[in-house]
Amino acid sequence: MMSDELDPDAALMLRVKQGDWDAFTSLVDKYKQPVMNLVYRMLRDASEAEDISQAVFVQVFKSAHRYEIASRFSTWLFTIARNLSLNEIRRRSRHPADSLDATRPEHDDQPAQQYEDRRDLSPPDRVLHGELEEKIEQALAELPENQRTAILLCRGDEMSYEEIAKVLGVSLSATKSLIHRGRETLKQKLKPYLRSGSWSEHK
Amino acid sequence: MMKDPQYEQLRELNWRRKLTPAEQAQLNAFLAAHPEALADWEAENSLTEALNGLAEVPVASNFTARAVAAARLAQAQGDREAGNGRVVRPWWLRWLPKAALATVVLAAGLLSYSHLQQTHRAEVIRSLATVSEVPSIPNPDILRDFDTIAAMSVTPPADEELLKVMQ
Repeated sequence: MMSDELDPDAALMLRVKQGDWDAFTSLVDKYKQPVMNLVYRMLRDASEAEDISQAVFVQVFKSAHRYEIASRFSTWLFTIARNLSLNEIRRRSRHPADSLDATRPEHDDQPAQQYEDRRDLSPPDRVLHGELEEKIEQALAELPENQRTAILLCRGDEMSYEEIAKVLGVSLSATKSLIHRGRETLKQKLKPYLRSGSWSEHK
Repeated sequence: MMKDPQYEQLRELNWRRKLTPAEQAQLNAFLAAHPEALADWEAENSLTEALNGLAEVPVASNFTARAVAAARLAQAQGDREAGNGRVVRPWWLRWLPKAALATVVLAAGLLSYSHLQQTHRAEVIRSLATVSEVPSIPNPDILRDFDTIAAMSVTPPADEELLKVMQ
């Protein structure tokens, strides 16, 4: 494949393979937000999510020689992010004392994160919006990991179903089934908010 | 729950992106024909909007710098370990455990073979000794006139009538 036919990320990875730090920095800059979004929603711990996200990019650099240009960089990156997050979840289950603040049942009344305000909301709207957002974060957190990851990767138009299937290591039909089942669960749990349209009203 | 393939396809598209005007027209036509699907579609739409509206998780402003520094550190460590490896472990050293194992297996094989040979040899010697203890067969020349001698030893039957006359 010629370099000029590559997607920009694959071209950057070619440069990373040759030890180009500027290319690596560009990739980290571009993907730190989506990686953090995914890892945080898998681990539900901001500090650990940042450490794991950092480890994801270190792994990208260390494994650059194994990256196959034929596959999309984002697919490869999110596969690494998911695997490291799953390792962390397994480590937690073996050493639960290591992550006392990982699960936050006692903080259910507070937002897990102090999210930035992105919209012009009046103070009451902002409170309501925060509550709704917390509801969906909570409902997402309660989904099985593979359903949650499938739904999160499905957001927006960045990854195809085939790519999501690769990240999850399952077939295309299984991926759609995971998304479908996860969404059905979310619809059930968020029924009052979705039906009333309160979500849309407060965006 | 809707099972119509067209509806399912539009729903899957809507999970990932906004429908195009053509797809929207298809959906409108479908919903006009199946008003019972309207509530489900609204819930789907609302959920998609809610998921797409989830806030970005805050990322530290120095995240990139720290990730790059960590990668540089990992690379330096890798180089150092590779360098140390060359000094401490010559190439042949990697084969040493395998060679040792192969030697042990070979020695065990040779020992077994040698033991088997010795056992076999002892068996042969024992057989020879048994054979040597068997009494020797007489010389066949001795038996050359056997038939003649045997014939001579056969006496004719007695003449009963002559014996009666003589008495």
